This record gives sequence, C-alpha cells and structure tokens, in this order.
Amino acid sequence: MKLINKILVITLASVSSLCFADVSVIVNSANNDAIDAKLIKKIYLGKAKSFPSGNKVKVFSLSSSQPDTADFRKKALKKSNSKFKSYWSKLAFTGKGTPAKEFDSAAEVIEAVKKTPNAIGFINSNDVVPEVKVVKKY
Amino acid sequence: MKNSTLAKAVIASFCLLQGAVQADVNISGFASINAGKVLSGPGDNPVFLADYPIVSVYDEEWSLDPESLFGIQITADLNDGLTAIAQLVGRGANDYDPEFEWAYISYELNDSWTIQAGKKRLPLFYYSDFYDVGYAYVWMRAPADNYTWQILNYSGVNALYTTDIGDWSVATNIYAGKEDDEDNKLLGDFFFRAKTREIWKDIIGGVVNLSKDWLELRLTHMQYTNERYIDDERILWDGKDYREGKFYGLAVNVDFEQWFVLTEASRLELGGNFDTKMLTFGYRYKEFTPYVVYSEFAAEESGDENHDTTSVGLRWNFHDSAAFKMQFDKVKDNSVAVGVAGDSKSFTLGIDLVF
Repeated sequence: MKLINKILVITLASVSSLCFADVSVIVNSANNDAIDAKLIKKIYLGKAKSFPSGNKVKVFSLSSSQPDTADFRKKALKKSNSKFKSYWSKLAFTGKGTPAKEFDSAAEVIEAVKKTPNAIGFINSNDVVPEVKVVKKY
Repeated sequence: MKNSTLAKAVIASFCLLQGAVQADVNISGFASINAGKVLSGPGDNPVFLADYPIVSVYDEEWSLDPESLFGIQITADLNDGLTAIAQLVGRGANDYDPEFEWAYISYELNDSWTIQAGKKRLPLFYYSDFYDVGYAYVWMRAPADNYTWQILNYSGVNALYTTDIGDWSVATNIYAGKEDDEDNKLLGDFFFRAKTREIWKDIIGGVVNLSKDWLELRLTHMQYTNERYIDDERILWDGKDYREGKFYGLAVNVDFEQWFVLTEASRLELGGNFDTKMLTFGYRYKEFTPYVVYSEFAAEESGDENHDTTSVGLRWNFHDSAAFKMQFDKVKDNSVAVGVAGDSKSFTLGIDLVF
C-alpha cells in the first residue's frame, strides 16, 4: 500500500511538472537593469512605467487565451484572468494606463523583445532562446 | 449634452497627427446589454430610477433601453509619452446617439507625473471614472443613491502624480475646469420638468488614492460654483445668482482572494448637507461572485430628498472578456417635499463586456 502511494506521488509529481512548465520573463539581451519580481508586478499592473535606468518600458504579453498567460498572471500578479481584465479595463478606459500589447505566440513575443531595447515580455520557459535575457522564472 | 468644440479639436488633431507622425492607433471598447423591469411598487405606474445622471428609468414592462450602452475608445499613441484619447458612448437611454464622453490629450512628463487636458469624467466618486464600464465592477451599476449628481463630466486640466511610500502605492490627481450643460437631463426631465441649464464653474478638486495588497483608501475633495437657468430664467438662491458647493468623499475597500468589502461615503455642502453611504459585501467562488449592497442618500433637512436601496446580485464571469450579471433592488423613497422615484422592487440582468 505504501509503495503504491509512493509511486502515485512520484507519477503525479512528474506529470504536474510537465503540465505546469514555468513561465519566464524576458527582456532584450542589451538590457542591464536589475529586474525583480516586485518590479515585474508593478510593470504589469501599470504602476511602474520605467526601468531603474529611466528607460520607458514597452510591455508585451501573450494573448489572454493562452494558458501561459493565465499562469503568469496567477503567479506573478496574483490575479485571475477576469480579475486582471477588470483591473485593466478600469485603467484603460479612464486615462490611467495602456494595457500590454498582446501577441499570439511565444515566437512573436521573442521577435518583438529582440527588436525593442526597452521591452519586457513573458513566454513559456520551454520556448526561451539564447538571444533574449531571462530575468525571472515563475 | 453637446459635443464640445474641445472634443472636435481632439478629433481633428487625431486626423492631423495621423498624417504627420507615425501614431499607433488602437481601438478598444466596452458594452453593456441590460434588461429589467419593476416587479412591484405603489401607485399605478411604479418606476425604478436605476441611474440618476443618465436618467435610466425602468417601469413594469421589460425594457432594454435604460441602461444598455456601447462605448468605443480610440487611443493614438504618439510615442514619447504623448497620447490622444477619445471615448464615444451611445446609450439606450438617449436612443443610442453616440456622444463624446471623454476627449483629451495626455502627456507623461516622467514616471511620476502625467498632465491631461480636455473633456473628462468628473472624479467625484470611486467609480465615477469607469461608471460606464460595467465589466470593471461587480454590480449591475454603481449604486444609484450615491451617484446622484447631475454633472458627470468636465472640461479642463488634470495632473496625475504616482509614487510609492514604503509598501503603499500612492496615486493622486488635481484638476480644474468647468461644465456648462445646456440641457441637463436629470434636472430638466426629472426634477423641474422644464429645460434646465446647469453650470458648474471654477471646479477645483483633488483625489488621493492609497493602496497596499488588500487595502485601498480613496479621499477626495472638490469645490465649485453653481449657476442655473430654468426655462432661460436665472435662478436665485437667497438673493444671489450663484452658490458655492463643496464635496468630500471617502472610499475604503478591503479585498482578499475571496472576500471583499466595498464602502463609500460622501458629503456635498450646498446650502445644507447631502450625505451618501454605501456598503457592499461580496464573495468570489470560482467564476461566480454573489454580493449584497446597501446604499442611501439623505439630505440634512428632514422631508427633503431621502432614499435608500438594498440589493442582492450575482456576477458570473462566463467568458474572459464578458460577465453576466443579475440583481434585485428594493428602493425605499422617504422623500416628502421633493418626490424622487418612489418605492419599488425591481429585477435587472445583463451582460457586460470589454474588447
């Protein structure tokens, strides 16, 4: 019985690590700013608009329908998709902020981050390529 | 309400700028399709005034018009912190005639300061700014007893300042401007039943918003000079053709993962005092949020305008960008001298979405 339990736990653990691959926050490889979880949260909630160097941030996101987006919002911003949407519709329609530009695929986010020196984005950790810099994993 | 020349100027600048520089133009929007009816009330034709400034009135027949609306926002990002924004809203209560509710230019001086000029929503209450965006709040509508004032927008300038103090996020703004509403709907259609020109001038106000994890506080003050014409005749108050108003507001919101409590209180000093209070409890369970609300409006003088509403409702986030809501409202109108809408029990339901 104990053995079966153990096997079950190990199997579940390996399955869940497959299902819930990490999300990586990426910036342009030339970006040397110190970026921590607190700043990431502020940037994606529209409370910070610049990197510590003073450069204005261009905020990119995967589209709302992607599982990685829900995962990122849950882990990094502590908000469900609907709470996040409500929060941003409050800012966007009252002149208090512009929501992140959304892309349909990780490849498009990578492309945009490569081209934009002051960009920040997030993608599934399995999609990370060497040409962009990972600043945080969730 | 008219489309101000200012709104036209902003639109004109959109077109000019689009040709002149590379502007990133983005269109977004929101919509609410709501239906409702009065279930019961005294008299032959009981009505439910769901919304004061817009004058959304339900009666005993099902109706889609009082609160349904469609809004489009055009944002032109001109880079380097300069944006031009216009919001057109068509309301069922006004035969869906689109009108400019917002039209302004915004300039981010730096990470902390933003300056805006144009036509904007007058930020008296916590929910004033996104009053039309049903998706952004839990109820069918911002509680009517609180959001009673006849002036919804103003034209002028606004300066926003944001910063951090320890763990607190601080967002403040100060604004100044004027609104001259040639044909005020609430006063004209509802209170005086004659064409009313309502002027709020020398408006000056400020808002301080403090937030930290689960706690949010909002304090506000505004003062203005009121002038009024009914049937083109200037109104006198105590022998003077103007009067001064002072508004104070406090909102405290507590929001945990599942439970939340929303509160708001305000006072308008305009001759006497007019006080409003609101208390909401809500609970999020998966995509469902049931809630209860109590709100009231009380004028200082007994017998003057006085009403309260008790509501229960449910919001269901059935889609990423859309919510279904239904709400039951029980209005108690204790006004004597100034009859408002009378007692009523009503049911409304609808869908709010953003795109």
